Amino acid sequence: MSKLPSLEDFKDRNVVEGSAYYDVDQREAPTTGMEKFKQVVNRTFRFELFIGLWVVLREMIKFDIHTVSYPAEKLPIGPRYRAVHEMQRLWESGTERCIGCGLCEKICISDCIRMDTRIDENSRKEVTEYTINLGRCIFCGYCAEVCPELAIVHGGRYENVSEQRAHYTDFNDMLTPMDMAISGKVAEYPGFGAVTPHEDERIKTTPLAY
Amino acid sequence: MSKTINFTIDGQKVSVEKGESILTGARKNDIYIPTLCHLAKATPIASCRLCVVEVEGSEGFVLSCNTQAVEGIEVKTNSDELYKERQNIMKLYDVNHPLQCGVCDKSGECDLQNKTLEFDVDSQNFAIRDQKRQKKGWGVLSYDPHLCIMCERCTVVCNEVVGSMALYIKPGGYKSLIDNHYSSCIQCGECISVCPVGAMASADFKYTTNVWELESVPSSCAHCSSACNLKYDVKTLGVGETDKAIYRVTNEVAIESLCGAGRFAYDFENRATKDELAFVKAVEAFKGADSIVFNSMITNEEAAVLQALKEKFSYKLINKEAKKYQEFLENFASVSGTKLYSGSLKTIEESDFAVTLGCSISADNPMVRFALNIAHNKRSAYVTCMHPLEDESLRNVITQYVKYEVGSEEGLLAMLCDLVVNEEAREKYSSFFDSLDSGYICGESSVGEEEFGLLYQKLRRKTKPVLVAGADLYNHPRAKNIAKLLGMIAKYSEFDLVIVPPETNSLGVALICDLDSVPGVKSIGYNVKGDFTLSALGEGDLDMPALNQQEGTFTSLDKKVVPLNVAVEFKGYELNDIANALGVKAKNVIDYTATLPQNSGYKDIEFDALENRFTMFEGIRGYELENVNVKGDDSIEEIDDLAEYNGSVIYRCNFPFNQFNSFTNKAHQTESEPFLEGSKQFAIASKISAGDTVRFTMDGKEYIRKFKISKELKGTLALNPVFDSTDNYDEYRYKQVKLEVVNG
Ligand code: SF4
Ligand code: SF4
Ligand code: SF4
Ligand code: SF4
Ligand code: SF4
Ligand code: FES
Repeated sequence: MSKLPSLEDFKDRNVVEGSAYYDVDQREAPTTGMEKFKQVVNRTFRFELFIGLWVVLREMIKFDIHTVSYPAEKLPIGPRYRAVHEMQRLWESGTERCIGCGLCEKICISDCIRMDTRIDENSRKEVTEYTINLGRCIFCGYCAEVCPELAIVHGGRYENVSEQRAHYTDFNDMLTPMDMAISGKVAEYPGFGAVTPHEDERIKTTPLAY
Repeated sequence: MSKTINFTIDGQKVSVEKGESILTGARKNDIYIPTLCHLAKATPIASCRLCVVEVEGSEGFVLSCNTQAVEGIEVKTNSDELYKERQNIMKLYDVNHPLQCGVCDKSGECDLQNKTLEFDVDSQNFAIRDQKRQKKGWGVLSYDPHLCIMCERCTVVCNEVVGSMALYIKPGGYKSLIDNHYSSCIQCGECISVCPVGAMASADFKYTTNVWELESVPSSCAHCSSACNLKYDVKTLGVGETDKAIYRVTNEVAIESLCGAGRFAYDFENRATKDELAFVKAVEAFKGADSIVFNSMITNEEAAVLQALKEKFSYKLINKEAKKYQEFLENFASVSGTKLYSGSLKTIEESDFAVTLGCSISADNPMVRFALNIAHNKRSAYVTCMHPLEDESLRNVITQYVKYEVGSEEGLLAMLCDLVVNEEAREKYSSFFDSLDSGYICGESSVGEEEFGLLYQKLRRKTKPVLVAGADLYNHPRAKNIAKLLGMIAKYSEFDLVIVPPETNSLGVALICDLDSVPGVKSIGYNVKGDFTLSALGEGDLDMPALNQQEGTFTSLDKKVVPLNVAVEFKGYELNDIANALGVKAKNVIDYTATLPQNSGYKDIEFDALENRFTMFEGIRGYELENVNVKGDDSIEEIDDLAEYNGSVIYRCNFPFNQFNSFTNKAHQTESEPFLEGSKQFAIASKISAGDTVRFTMDGKEYIRKFKISKELKGTLALNPVFDSTDNYDEYRYKQVKLEVVNG
């Protein structure tokens, strides 16, 4: 193909001569017995194996060892990693961020979120129960993405040991501990579900009469 | 009379009847015009302006909802200008609208949300200073003026459909809001159901669930004989539960209505488990019993099971109220020549002259009230209510009140016959008419001759008259002759008749069961106390499913067979299981649907084949009974002496309006304490005062009730509600009683 294929060209999945798709690295497969024998000999007597062994030996002598002694040592997890959910609180006031809008419950493709809400004494919507069935959750991150309040996020807790998966989804366990929230020790959550850094630029202002 | 108007919409040929709007024409032909304030059941409100269209040759835009179609016009529903106009309307609605969809009950079914997205409002260039407004609570209603878009739907239904005139607009430009004359509000919740946004909300439902989590089960209301179409919205009871609960009731708001009982008294299900021991006992009890006593809070299919049991084991079937109603219909038919009355709710709505006799309209059947009110508003119908009790809440519905003395129904009906029947009847029943002594009747009933004169005068120019007969008549000592007089009106006049069934499925029971009047010695009670009691209230010896837990059908006031579906699962035994154990075999109770008696007008249609769907204009539900012709003894007796009732007279009538029976009294939003309610005049005449506990005997039962003075009532009648009992009655609804104060 001379010119760059367009998106439309890629939508045509019929791989033929001249389409956007072409086969990569299609070598002839050996057919006769002799050809097959030659291929085996070739692969066996290359020295690639010894190159690998030499690298290991070299690093061993230099004592440049990268092994992490898990579980005593842990690697930091990437901020976009999607492990067991966390529920955020507002800074300072410590109020739960979740408003019970139910979007996470709706969007969840494995249908594993279930919540109960009620009207509280101040006639606000209050979440009384919130569970995620981790036996079904596929950690797709949709809930965290849809949440309008940055309430549900994916945390970094990827190691879980218990007799039942349900134990990880007690609403109160998922919530940021109150003392941490009000002592201001929690930083703006950077992980999955947080706003992207350039969000301010995308906000449109609404005219106000005052 | 009606003329067809032909015109085009977007090049498509459409035709409507003269007087119908452009919008109606579009909807009949599946052409989409966006609307926000329009309600097919009410007159056009014309507040939202979203329905604008262009008409070839006329300046500017035209509101399609309230513009009558004219022959030959060319209508355009879409253009860039129209789109811009509609987009601007939505922008204006969105000015200062709180961004609270996240918690709003309406989110997901909100017209403001939908239309804002439909017209792609993603930025706002209008602004106005926001106002502080106060949230209000009126019983079951919760009003948040911040969310209100002043579409006026709520006020229009409250006035035009319900007839309460409770809601009104407090004008003030941008500050306008809705207010409520709360004492006139009958707590029907119609306003909640039509509100396109979350402004008028149910106080109880508020914030209990997001609406998209609910699953709708279409069914029929179980509380009165209108058997209104409704949908039970269900979801699991809570986190970790698998059993379902009903969270709310919804309906097709644009074309149909519900009263407060249907809308709020939904959680009357009986949560029971399979009690094998009780079941064995029940089967034993059936083997030892000779009669089954029951009320009409059952389905047609259950009635058919009872009838089948009767045929096999010769049980006596005792249902006092239905028996009286059955006899009444038979006597009616003997003169009218048709098994059933001719009218329906639709007939009432479309009538231009309506008379009700012996019916406590608001309490007995709210849909009759709504229909009368619609007729009154839409057709300028002349509505006359004949009743001994002047019901204040009906003052906007009724044009003429004819208040008569208790006991004089027969005389009044005879007078009415005299006004309306044709010459053929006069000849045939000449001796009856000759002996009619109007002076005596007017004197005894305290209805002036001029009142009949007025009626006669008003009737002359009317073409669609209807007569609604109510439950006061069926148990009347002269019920037989009253029924025959009604038959005479049905046969020999222009009038359509509606004979309101007294309980939910009284008509079904009357048409399906062969009822007895004398009970045996050992009885099975079904929802009524017997020697062994089956109860859907969970109060008996074996639990039965309530009417929101059953598949089956009702026979409604409209003479239609309408379906019920299971909203909440019932885990115990049902009547059909007992019948099977006794050898009356059917796999499911709905197997009886197609076998309902065809000589009563039922059709051979399977339950699963019953329709239950809607168009833009009407609900298509179940099927209508065939009105079979019958022959009988069509002689009519002369009027008997009218009975006199003096002193303290008590009327068996449920109050407040959302109370109908023990099931509405079980639902958490409608349960209440029954009071004896009467006017001040009644209190003085009976020498009791408000707050007194009084004892009296009525319907063979001793009642001890607290007395309450009601401002709504007048005269020397008091209401005795019976929603706290499952009994049904064959005595006349009025009784002269001795009241005994038993304070302390
Ligand atoms: S999406 Fe966020 S705010 Fe909404 S219910 Fe879920 S956690 Fe709460
Ligand atoms: S009324 Fe509609 S638009 Fe307004 S907050 Fe509620 S759901 Fe959102
Ligand atoms: S509940 Fe019914 S009567 Fe009361 S304000 Fe609403 S519509 Fe009117
Ligand atoms: S309360 Fe609802 S129905 Fe009534 S005017 Fe406001 S938005 Fe319309
Ligand atoms: S109680 Fe009667 S009028 Fe009210 S919703 Fe039920 S069937 Fe309709
Ligand atoms: S639908 Fe016509 S003005 Fe609202």
